[in-house]
Amino acid sequence: MDAVLLNSLQKSFGEVRAVNNLSVAVHQASVYGFLGPNGAGKTTTLRMIMNIIRPDSGQIRIFGGSSVEQAKARIGYMPEERGLYRKMTVAKVLAFFGAIKGLTGNELSGRVSHWLRRVELMDWASKKVEELSRGMHQKLQFAVTAINEPDLLILDEPFAGLDPLNTDLLKAIMLEMRNDGKTIIFSTHVMHEAEKLCDSILLINKGRAILDDSLSHIKSQRSSNVVSAELEGDTDFIEKLPEVKAVESDGHNFEITLAGNVDTQQLLKALVERLRVQRFEVKVPSLHEIFVDLVGASNAEDS
Amino acid sequence: MQKILKIAQREYIETVKTKAFLLGIVMLPLIIVVIIVVMKRMSPDKTGPQPPVKVAVNDLSGLLADEIKTSFDSHNQKNPNRQIQFHKLEIQQNSDAVEERARNNLRQGQVDVYVVLDRDVLDGSGKIHLYTYKQKASSIDILSTIEYIFYKTVVNQRYKMQNLSQELLEKLRNVPIERVEIGYAEGQDRVQNKTDTVLKMMVPFFFMYLMFLGIISSGQHMISSVIEEKSSRVIEVLLSAVSPFELMAGKILGLAGTGFTLVSLWAGAAFFTASSQGLNIDVTAELVFYFAIYYILGFLLISSVLAAAGSVCNTIKETQSLMMPIMMVFIIPLVSWFKVVQDPNGTLSRVFSFIPPLTPMVMILRLSSGSEIWIIEIIASIILLAVTVLVAMWGAAKVFRAGILMYGKRLSVREVCRCLLQS
Repeated sequence: MDAVLLNSLQKSFGEVRAVNNLSVAVHQASVYGFLGPNGAGKTTTLRMIMNIIRPDSGQIRIFGGSSVEQAKARIGYMPEERGLYRKMTVAKVLAFFGAIKGLTGNELSGRVSHWLRRVELMDWASKKVEELSRGMHQKLQFAVTAINEPDLLILDEPFAGLDPLNTDLLKAIMLEMRNDGKTIIFSTHVMHEAEKLCDSILLINKGRAILDDSLSHIKSQRSSNVVSAELEGDTDFIEKLPEVKAVESDGHNFEITLAGNVDTQQLLKALVERLRVQRFEVKVPSLHEIFVDLVGASNAEDS
Repeated sequence: MQKILKIAQREYIETVKTKAFLLGIVMLPLIIVVIIVVMKRMSPDKTGPQPPVKVAVNDLSGLLADEIKTSFDSHNQKNPNRQIQFHKLEIQQNSDAVEERARNNLRQGQVDVYVVLDRDVLDGSGKIHLYTYKQKASSIDILSTIEYIFYKTVVNQRYKMQNLSQELLEKLRNVPIERVEIGYAEGQDRVQNKTDTVLKMMVPFFFMYLMFLGIISSGQHMISSVIEEKSSRVIEVLLSAVSPFELMAGKILGLAGTGFTLVSLWAGAAFFTASSQGLNIDVTAELVFYFAIYYILGFLLISSVLAAAGSVCNTIKETQSLMMPIMMVFIIPLVSWFKVVQDPNGTLSRVFSFIPPLTPMVMILRLSSGSEIWIIEIIASIILLAVTVLVAMWGAAKVFRAGILMYGKRLSVREVCRCLLQS
């Protein structure tokens, strides 16, 4: 069963199509990244999943059911706009949100101290929220989101405003939760974060999905026709091979560009026959490159 | 329901803890105490000696001089703090020059009051003339005292001229009056005095005013609470756990609680003060019961409206233009309370009772004014009010849902209407 299933979702704000015919299936126990440039429709999509705004058309199913309201106890949502009651103390805020998410008694107080410890805010428990620094506020916000140990975690730009140390802390918690079988959806426009965390990726631009696949599949599909190799021996023949389009060399290191749709294995075979191959690497484009490539292409298409 | 209660609980505790609320509790009784103290200070019998009033008299009849002197002396004996001083007593000086001089004396402040007794004042056709110049507010009471002294003087002189015994006449005139209000059972009869009558008018007003203040102050808290959640962006986090309706319901419940606390504290303090001062306020359990019902319904009505109003605004400033017309509605019973108390079963009172925003305050006025009100009318007004509350909450929930996530711009009237029509 899919944790979240979106079916041809549409949403317009006046003239602007914020989300256009979006269909996504988010598998359980996976980390799903919603990527896209600013204004692509990520936040709108997440808000529609949370039933904060209603889609113009299309269906949303969460844990197989159509009502978010029923599933809310199993969801943790961290909105893009952070906000907590500034006059309340850290522990009280956490306890309040735990309580409205259905926790009671011992379970509630246990969770509060557990999460305070987990996001390293135990020393701040009795301080007022307004006294926290931005990063601490952010971590508290995450604790508020996760206090009910939700099966589905929806995080809108979770790393914005965090220093590298806290980013790593948050990532570690997210991966741990994924391993416990929780589903995590998060939005970001910072690609290397997504690359390290995501199992699957949805790339949106101007409300439209331009890529929706598992990260490994994306990478294997997009394996480029450039090979980086470290070779020993007489390398002059390489340029003359029919599979090869261009060669650049820097001592023993070579960048070989293949022609058309030649299999990299064919090149490897040809090389092994005549040389010592120290290193042979099919250059995989980074998510960043894919992003720039695809978003650029889709923008060019539109204009 | 659990969630609504949790939100209500937080709302209650956090509101009660604010300085504005604590100040609100103390402010009203404090103001009342200050007013009472100042009033007591201002009252004449508590003040120290005041400068004597200088009176010049021109007795054209020529028969009253002795009588006037005796009256002045007896007044001065009884009122050492407010003496009447004889400036000049002229007898039968009827000329323009005399009058002109007297007027100048008045203008120059040598004399405060100039009295002319007509020649035929004892025959019954002449007048007592009192002349003053730039009368001060503080001398109004002494003027009526002087007026009375001269009136008495003339009347006493008339008795003498008719050979009537003054003592006898006084005796004949004296009929003591006692007003008694009977209670439900024997032995509850109560002799009324002047304060009782005033109290009879003031108790309904007090009850209504209490309701007014309770509703207004909780309404104020509602607006600021919604705006605060909106501006600190907590709202979206809350909505990830609860539905907009639950959020609104929780807020209304919590703030109704704070309003109720405030009103009960004030009412309790007032009741305690009144009974410790020996004032007898008769508040039946029935009245308290109705008060609670009307208060709760009235509060639910205004706070739903204000929750909706708050949700479409971004700052307290923006809400003010919306608050004005809403508050005006609640001023109506405040302005017309006297008419309602005087005629609790009149057309005006009846019509107001069935205009839902006015119902709670007007009905409390009518009920506490002590007159019999048809029970069907009470029930009908409660039902109408309750239905209005449901409709208002339903509408408010819709506007609230759309309004709370609108940042930057305020919803236009047309957009609000569209929210209401949307299912």
